[in-house]
Amino acid sequence: MRGLPSETRLDMNDLGLTFHLNGEEVSVAVKPGTLLADLLRNVLGLKGTKVGCREGECGACTVLVDGEPVNSCLLPAMKVAGRSVTTIEGLQRGEELDLIQQAFMDEGAIQCGFCTPGMVLTTKALLDRNPDPDERQIREGLSGVLCRCTGYQKIVNAVQKASLARRSSV
Amino acid sequence: MNEEKKRKTKVLTKEAEGIQHLFARESASELSVVGQPLGRTDDLKKVTGKLAYGADYPQEGFLHGKILRSPFPHARIKSVKIEKALQLEGVAAVLTAKDVPGRNGFGAVIPDQPVICGDKVRFVGDGVALVAAQTEETAHQALSLIEVEYEPLPAIFDPREAIQPGAPLIHEKGNLLLHNKLRKGDVQKGFAEADVILERVYKVPFIEHGYIEPDITMAIPGDGALLVEGPMQAPFTVRRNVAAVLGIPISRVQVKSIPMGGGFGGKEDAPIDIGCRAAVLAARTGRPVRMALEREEVTLQTAKRHPHIMEIRIGAKRDGTLTALEGTIYNEQGAYASLGPLTPPAGGVNIHSLVMLPGPYEIPHCKVDAYLCYTNHPYGGAMRGFGAPQVCFAHESVIDELARELGINPIEIRRKNAFRLGSVTATGQVLDQSVGLRDTLEECARVFGWDRRYQRAGYIDKERTHRRGVGIGMGWYRTSFGTSGDGCGANVYVHEDGSVLLYTGITEMGQGSFTVLPQICAEELGVAIEDIRLVQPDTDRVPESGPTVGSRSTVLMGNAIIQAVQPIKKSILEMASTLLSIPVERLHAKNRLIYDRDHPEKAVPFRDVAAKCMASGKRLIGQGWWTPPPVSLDPETGQGNPYFVYSFSTQMAEVIVDVQTGEVNVTDYVAAFDIGKAVNPKTVEGQIEGGVAMGLGYALMEEIILKDGWIQNLNLQDFLIPTMADVPNIKPIILEVENKYGPYGAKGVGEMPNIPAAPAIVNAIAHACGGRVRSLPADPEKVYWAIQEAGGLPVPK
Repeated sequence: MRGLPSETRLDMNDLGLTFHLNGEEVSVAVKPGTLLADLLRNVLGLKGTKVGCREGECGACTVLVDGEPVNSCLLPAMKVAGRSVTTIEGLQRGEELDLIQQAFMDEGAIQCGFCTPGMVLTTKALLDRNPDPDERQIREGLSGVLCRCTGYQKIVNAVQKASLARRSSV
Repeated sequence: MNEEKKRKTKVLTKEAEGIQHLFARESASELSVVGQPLGRTDDLKKVTGKLAYGADYPQEGFLHGKILRSPFPHARIKSVKIEKALQLEGVAAVLTAKDVPGRNGFGAVIPDQPVICGDKVRFVGDGVALVAAQTEETAHQALSLIEVEYEPLPAIFDPREAIQPGAPLIHEKGNLLLHNKLRKGDVQKGFAEADVILERVYKVPFIEHGYIEPDITMAIPGDGALLVEGPMQAPFTVRRNVAAVLGIPISRVQVKSIPMGGGFGGKEDAPIDIGCRAAVLAARTGRPVRMALEREEVTLQTAKRHPHIMEIRIGAKRDGTLTALEGTIYNEQGAYASLGPLTPPAGGVNIHSLVMLPGPYEIPHCKVDAYLCYTNHPYGGAMRGFGAPQVCFAHESVIDELARELGINPIEIRRKNAFRLGSVTATGQVLDQSVGLRDTLEECARVFGWDRRYQRAGYIDKERTHRRGVGIGMGWYRTSFGTSGDGCGANVYVHEDGSVLLYTGITEMGQGSFTVLPQICAEELGVAIEDIRLVQPDTDRVPESGPTVGSRSTVLMGNAIIQAVQPIKKSILEMASTLLSIPVERLHAKNRLIYDRDHPEKAVPFRDVAAKCMASGKRLIGQGWWTPPPVSLDPETGQGNPYFVYSFSTQMAEVIVDVQTGEVNVTDYVAAFDIGKAVNPKTVEGQIEGGVAMGLGYALMEEIILKDGWIQNLNLQDFLIPTMADVPNIKPIILEVENKYGPYGAKGVGEMPNIPAAPAIVNAIAHACGGRVRSLPADPEKVYWAIQEAGGLPVPK
């Protein structure tokens, strides 16, 4: 069985889930077995998180759970109870883009865009942990998100630019 | 950022002498939009997660479609029982072969693949029934309730066996789909003149496109037309197939291409497959139907890169001058024809591989036979390079082996034989313009430091576990696909406030067409790129423009846009001339102004001129249609001018080989291109870097593994594509040797980058450790055994 149908009818088997989503507390009824990716996309309407393989290989479904990058296609939604989840939608402040998003645009690091939400969030997790990574650390840190379009060159450049911008703006 | 780390992008522009430009235009220095590394028009939506791809579209009201697939590679269908499936609650339709209303066949060229198989199945994954249900879950359950009785037939998996007499027939007309021939000069004479002759066999496997977004389509019945929308590169091909399958006129099918999460040729084929199937379900139920493939289904049923077995015999003089090349290509088509067969005179994978096998070299005598063979495997279709990556691996490997045999530096043998302006190709075509191949070779060598790196190959550690080496790959590639019906159409409408609508049939899959095409339109009109809104490709709104493939978009659609703008520009300049009292010849349009070249302060805003035109009935609409110069190829001899212009590339790689494990690390990479003109240098770099990475994957890790007709590695855990940690820094070099037929001199670039990459890397491996791998991928096991076969490691000095 894969995923969940988009229409959700409340029944007594549903579980209650409360967690922090992009800075706000959310309470939602969840069918048992629902995966986080499907909860975000189909129940909460946040389509920025993508699904590419459903086996935790491509990283397109990456979201941050308590700041750590996680393959939301594999994580049962109930596992985020009481925790904080960040999706791509939660990165910008109103109209203002996060420095990482701006760097990706400036460096031309986006082609088809399907891996971009996963790449951007994984970049955030990397830079939050290691504010000034060298190239090897960047390449290994982001090796869990696959991109077939860019050859990764401009993504590396974008991460370096974002790292500099973040350190300069402190 | 460290200045040293920044790539050098050198732009070398050569104006072709005495060439009449197709459209009168400014010299490169006067361009204001074209040639600029502008940010992409759709970046913001992508980086904020707001761009809707197919799976993000609303699903309310849609039925979910699923396909029941054959578990046998070759079998007769004896019966299909659907009663139990029909009884499941939530199932809206279960269809078998008899339920297809029109032609029960689809295909990009030959419609030989059944929408629903009736009498037999030809590969594991062939469609035997279709289901539409309220939920995906219900549709899956319904599939498991359909009972099919099969009678397995002997299956054929080797293309050489498939074309032997007595082989089980996969299609009634026989397993040899096509035999193409190339005959130039007299190879016997050529070999007689050779001092050295090498014979080698090279093999390349099926691989997957690996786009991160799985295929999806939506078929929606409507008033007057059935709408099919989804991520797709070829809306017009989908449209004509859907119309035939439904048995309705083409004008009653509307197809829209929506944002794509990658294509690489795979979204040329797959949308025909699921588009026709969803359409049949939608027509039958009268309801919208959504058909989404899981990753495993994408691998199982959609088109792949054609495997090739390439036998080459090459002759050369002692100084490296090539005298003759003889080649036989066994091109594995798989179960269905897709894009393998011929669209005259030179369209299709088989003929393309044939023409490209001799490489970008002057060889007086050539003989090539290319056999396109059905097998009971998944089928080959369009994948970035379309036969060129396969044959480039062969010609670049063999010329390197020849260099080694002769004791010549690999760069020297290429200098001896590479095309120059005026060279004659293996098809007898005289390259009379835009041949920057040698420039790419010299520039790549300079930036890479070929001479220095070549000398320092060898062990890098005193423990003698790792060896370093370098390799070259050279290639060429056509712009567009060599068929007689090749053309692109565009519509441009300017409004009274100066804003512009641009309609094209070319799609965006991440390559940047939605930025580059508006750049051309903005340059021609003299407005800013933000003034242009490009309308989503819709077959209802633009002329048939062919697919977004073959590196054709910038040139063909760019020219169509330039044409479309001409009548608008005429109106604008005439009106401005009246307003400014200055003759039209002195006027120039740029940056939203029309002004006197000699006195730029005498200017009038574009929008004011547009408003005046609208108020006085002066035309502000334009339609362009551009077809390339005629192409030709004799079907018996393969002689002619199959494609109207070529791009060129030289790439150099440095690798480090772990000689104990065979593991290869690519540490440095420089890739130089002659692409005529970079309309947007930043997007061109993106194509270069992405294409090289794809070639690296082909070289080192990608392979669809088949056993008894079953794919063993259906998902990304086992079908490996490069991660960020696998790819080195890639330095792109853009050279511009103008194409007289291209907008601003441009040629295609989309596919060129991934063509010479695999041989550059495999040649580097051979240089590093002596191990010559002749079948891709050069995974650690193959490299290790290649070292042993070469006699083990060289004794260090």
